Amino acid sequence: MRHLFRVLAALVIFVYGSSVIRAQEAPAYAITNVTIHHSDGSESKSSSIVWRDGVIEAVGKRVTIPFDAFTIDGGDSLHLYPGLIDGLATWGSPAPPREYKPLPEPGNPPYDRSGVQPERKPSVLLESDDKEFEAAMKAGFTTAVLGVEGNMLPGQVETFFISPEETKTGLYGEVLGLEGSFETAPGGWSSGAYPGTLMGVMAKFRQTMYEAQALQTHIQYHSTNPEMPAPNRSEVLEALFPLINNTKPLYFKVDSKENIDLLLKLQDEFGFDAVIVSGKEAHARAGVLKQRGIPVLASIDTDDAPKWYTDQKKKKKDDDSKEEEITDEEKQYREKQLEAWKEEVTNIKSLIENGVKVGYSSHGLALKDFAKKLEVIMDEGELEEDDLLALMTINTAEIIGLNGVFGSLEKGKNASFTLVNKPIFEKKASVVKSVSNGTIYEF
Amino acid sequence: MKKILTLFVLMVAVVGVKAQETGSVLIQNATVITITGEDLENTDVLIRDGKITEIGQNLSAPRRVPKVDATGKFVMPGIIDAHSHLNTVSTNESRNPVTAEVTMEESVNPNSVSIYRAIAGGVTSIHLMHGSANVIGGQNETLKLRYGANVDGMRFEGAPRTIKFALGENPTRVHGQGNGVQPRTRMGVEQVIRGHFDAALNYKKNREEYLAAKAKWDSDKKGTPPVPVAQNLRFDVLNDIIEGNIWVHCHSYRADEILMLMRVFNDYGIKNYTFQHANEAFKVAPELAKNGARTSVFSDWWAYKFEVYYSTAYNASILNANGVVNSINSDDSELIRHLNHEAAKTVRYGNTSVHDALKMITINPAIQIGVDDKVGSIEVGKDGDVAIWSGHPLSIYSKVEQTYIDGKKYFDLAEDPVDMRISIDPTDDFDSAANFEAFHSGRQNDACLEGAFILNTETIQQ
Repeated sequence: MRHLFRVLAALVIFVYGSSVIRAQEAPAYAITNVTIHHSDGSESKSSSIVWRDGVIEAVGKRVTIPFDAFTIDGGDSLHLYPGLIDGLATWGSPAPPREYKPLPEPGNPPYDRSGVQPERKPSVLLESDDKEFEAAMKAGFTTAVLGVEGNMLPGQVETFFISPEETKTGLYGEVLGLEGSFETAPGGWSSGAYPGTLMGVMAKFRQTMYEAQALQTHIQYHSTNPEMPAPNRSEVLEALFPLINNTKPLYFKVDSKENIDLLLKLQDEFGFDAVIVSGKEAHARAGVLKQRGIPVLASIDTDDAPKWYTDQKKKKKDDDSKEEEITDEEKQYREKQLEAWKEEVTNIKSLIENGVKVGYSSHGLALKDFAKKLEVIMDEGELEEDDLLALMTINTAEIIGLNGVFGSLEKGKNASFTLVNKPIFEKKASVVKSVSNGTIYEF
Repeated sequence: MKKILTLFVLMVAVVGVKAQETGSVLIQNATVITITGEDLENTDVLIRDGKITEIGQNLSAPRRVPKVDATGKFVMPGIIDAHSHLNTVSTNESRNPVTAEVTMEESVNPNSVSIYRAIAGGVTSIHLMHGSANVIGGQNETLKLRYGANVDGMRFEGAPRTIKFALGENPTRVHGQGNGVQPRTRMGVEQVIRGHFDAALNYKKNREEYLAAKAKWDSDKKGTPPVPVAQNLRFDVLNDIIEGNIWVHCHSYRADEILMLMRVFNDYGIKNYTFQHANEAFKVAPELAKNGARTSVFSDWWAYKFEVYYSTAYNASILNANGVVNSINSDDSELIRHLNHEAAKTVRYGNTSVHDALKMITINPAIQIGVDDKVGSIEVGKDGDVAIWSGHPLSIYSKVEQTYIDGKKYFDLAEDPVDMRISIDPTDDFDSAANFEAFHSGRQNDACLEGAFILNTETIQQ
């Protein structure tokens, strides 16, 4: 896997560090003679891109290739795309414990056993040897917001330049926000704890926020009044301060429309900004999401189509056999079933049409299923390739607030892009090279 | 100004979501069982925009108001079930003996087809209760069965807040035996209640003192600021109970524990409460009446665990005869479909009058959940929640033909499709999922201990 270019680039970045003046002296790279696809759907044939020190210097048809540039000639057959961005993935997250010990007081668990772990950071816990990183690059991803697997408040989310084996060192920028969900406390039937239900999670969320508010007040009071009793510091509660002060958003994994309503209720009570992650039924709340400016990092992990439907579609090709005979009752059942499935796969399309800002999140979707799910979203979900590209690049970058750095191929933006043997969302498209933060990886 | 405007727009948007669909209908020439008055023969009931506006003979239908000929049929108020777990997301937050902070309002599944089945049995409102795993369980939610609405749309506007308590075997089994924490005995149950009420009162004092000191310090910055006392949701709810803002519905069976709770409530000044199940309540009927306590019982369901052996089908009749406001409930998604039969049993066994038997599934449960000013009888000004029956509702041969909520028709026997699901899992194929028609049986689902960790799930469900 380790390629010469990558070693070279890594060495250059390591040696020259981040000093702007010295970065000027870093070697340039160029990819020439490729079809460049922009995140707005436009394309430019026989074009080139030049970057140095992880930053794009030039892109377009008439680009002067610096004399010192290491140049890759695309031979006019390859396609270059802005690197896809996963708005929230759990690649590299340590797996949750397999077993939990029964607690002496399940009703009064420590924070971690209730699923409240907002202090955890991917940059500390990430396991770079997760094979999903390489798979992600092969699928066209160069950048990802990563979170930690867990329960109601599993941790913080941070942005990373992806690389096959060293993503942990690829942290970009500040913590983006906190992650949340309606997941109950871990431990299952025999070792579970409070909260064990959705309504319990709602109550626990509120109570935890109240405690964080009280601690913040205590710390503030004590800082100017050292004569008062000192606060009991808590890294767990203090990690929630950005949420109670609304300085960082809550990336909340939620699917059903009923649960989206509950999230909105919590938002009303505590005033945080929210980003919906997954949002499989978000289309049913598109109006209120648009009104509140809540974006959706949507999942493409849709259910499989009803079997009879896929069978029917297959059959059309080799027609001969008899029509399946079914009762009227089953026919009606199938109509409703297909309608429900269609609603699910057109979720993203419907959100876009209703003016909700939509990006992409894999959260939980294994990359081996990525191509298959994409196919469904395009064929049945009525999404065009251009929509998908925007969704997975600039739109996601905007939602995570990093569109000044990622999501499009422009001078001054981060050099993260992907070279593919054919248009990226076509069947059997294969990533040839991937550039993440200026480093070239070859597949 | 812009902010105010935005706020206004937001408020309108929120109210818009909550606005209910209402309907109008003129039901003609029926025998009207008013519940609070005499039965009226050959009588019309006019419902306009969700409210009953006229009751009388030969009423004329206003323009565009549909007419329904109910000649030979009976109209009665929609049945109200004071104890249901019909469409919960989960029923028990069973991980702590006291979970007053959780609320069934946040555990409503508005898409369950069981709602439609209940409407088909003439039920229009339910008291969606937390389960009985905990001494002090979660808050309950009163719903109108507006099938097709979202959670907010199902909410019974203006219904008082209520909460579930539970005594006896369930909480001692789940927490004492199951988790090794208090309560393990009935004595422990009492102390859990008293201990938490005392802690809540103590919290309230501390919290109020803190807020007063904080307000003072924040304004004048003199002296030392107070150490913050965090808001406590659980104690806030317990204080609301003590202050009478939340009514208690307590799962109970034995006479001694019923008396115990009345003593505790008298000590804390708690007045508005109903004993649920209360199989031995007949033993202490005068004491219940004296305390103004109410009961909501099964007609003839017992012996499913030790504490429910001493029971009688005369329970409801004895309570009624002693002046206790009593209702008959289902606690079950199948039984809820024929609560009229359950009420009829009080006539059969205990010689309760037909009139009083019907009160037990209409106005009496309405009183117990605090909505008797809106539903539970057919009176001008009340909500248009009624059902048209093919014959007398207490006859085993009668069927519900139509059910209206807020004047809108939600069930019509003449137009009753097989598949009334409104939420469909596309991964369910016909062969595996066509059992959407099947009813729950055996009183095992949507019942009090659903989802709770108990030691013997086979024999104990309620």
